[in-house]
Amino acid sequence: MTQYEEKLSAFLDGELPEEEAREIEAALAADPALQAELEALMAADAMAQEAFAEMLDEPVPAALAAVVRDAPEAAPANVSAPPAGRSWLAAAAVVLALGIGGAGGYMTGLSQGTPVASAPGWLVDIADYHRVYAAQERHLVEVGADEADHIRTWLTASVGADVPTPDLSAHGLTFEGARLLVAAGKPVAQLMYRDGDRRVVALCLIQTDSPRDGFASQTIGAFDMVSWGGDGANFVIVGDTGRDDLQDIAETAAEA
Amino acid sequence: MMALTASPSLFQPHCIALPRVALLTRGIEPATKSREGDVSTDLKHELTALLPRLRRFARSLTRSVPEADDLVQEACLRALTRADQWDRSQPLDRWMFRITRNLWISEIRKRTVRIGQGQVPAEDATELQTPVTGEHSVAASQLQAQIDALPEDLSSVLLAVSVEGYSYAEAAELFDVPLGTVMSRVHRARKALAARIAEPGGVTT
Repeated sequence: MTQYEEKLSAFLDGELPEEEAREIEAALAADPALQAELEALMAADAMAQEAFAEMLDEPVPAALAAVVRDAPEAAPANVSAPPAGRSWLAAAAVVLALGIGGAGGYMTGLSQGTPVASAPGWLVDIADYHRVYAAQERHLVEVGADEADHIRTWLTASVGADVPTPDLSAHGLTFEGARLLVAAGKPVAQLMYRDGDRRVVALCLIQTDSPRDGFASQTIGAFDMVSWGGDGANFVIVGDTGRDDLQDIAETAAEA
Repeated sequence: MMALTASPSLFQPHCIALPRVALLTRGIEPATKSREGDVSTDLKHELTALLPRLRRFARSLTRSVPEADDLVQEACLRALTRADQWDRSQPLDRWMFRITRNLWISEIRKRTVRIGQGQVPAEDATELQTPVTGEHSVAASQLQAQIDALPEDLSSVLLAVSVEGYSYAEAAELFDVPLGTVMSRVHRARKALAARIAEPGGVTT
């Protein structure tokens, strides 16, 4: 276990070479203790994400903002047109343009360009989000299903790939609404569905220039996932482990 | 405290009520609108929009809200005096994190010299000189207190990799450490937090 334990964080971050990532995956499947260790690290990471997110909500002291506003101005040397108010989406666009991060495996950096594990990258982030949000009975979504048109427009513009809201009622799933997430440094659309037992199934979508071929199943933490590639995007269906209908749901969603 | 141009009112409780951002979104609308449109003004607006994330990054270094605000202030002033070096084709946050991190390292070195430990490497000095649990700690929640309790070299690397989307290679460049050190710090940070979660009566996520 030890030889792999030290590499679990790098595995989570998609920073291992393909071959090592495969080794870890095999070790995880064979070693419940290692799997538990991975889940503990994921829980820790989710906690850190939440804590760091909270910090962003704290008000900026007025005096600090004033210091920036009233600082003496240096003579400009650069007169190119300013970007129109850089938002985090603009930042994400820069990330995309530079080819950093993403579904098909991040790069280890611009200077190196060595492809590393395609695995779990965004899917691990998705599992984290699912654990946090699926437990949110009253605040499951940011925008409710009654605004489905807005959801499609908003998320398509945000994610940079066409975001559908497929009808999964044939599987007993009711569309509840959507969230915008950030996984592996990129915007991700998360569409939330609930079944008759109020169990949450999420359909997530991330833009990519190289969608994966065919369907793939995997288990991350307490969740099963079925992922596939579509038009300009990778998709994944996430549900509790033990659901036997995720593949069928994925196929319905893929046809939508 | 750093010798800054901090006005005495810096830490008084009146605050701008910036729009609340949704969990994990990464920006905030600028608090002020453009009046002139020159480069410095643009930079000011973008810095203003970036303040919440700069404060968070600085807090991961200092683990103290007042010190983080001092550090952010100095970093912004530094950037504004170097507005001509602002490369708009690059993300402003990366430039600012770099400036912030370098200022913090210089500050640590100054403190180290002042107390007669000039030979101590900056990284060690950080652990010696900044509060671990924080007498200044004003963590708004138990969760945040857990982050503040991590050593600086762990919390800042975790923030960069886990939240700000840095690859290990990019984090290695930001923090001037080998890539293997980034890997080990990220792992140690998560292990430390996982241990807290596992403690009886520990934090819950």
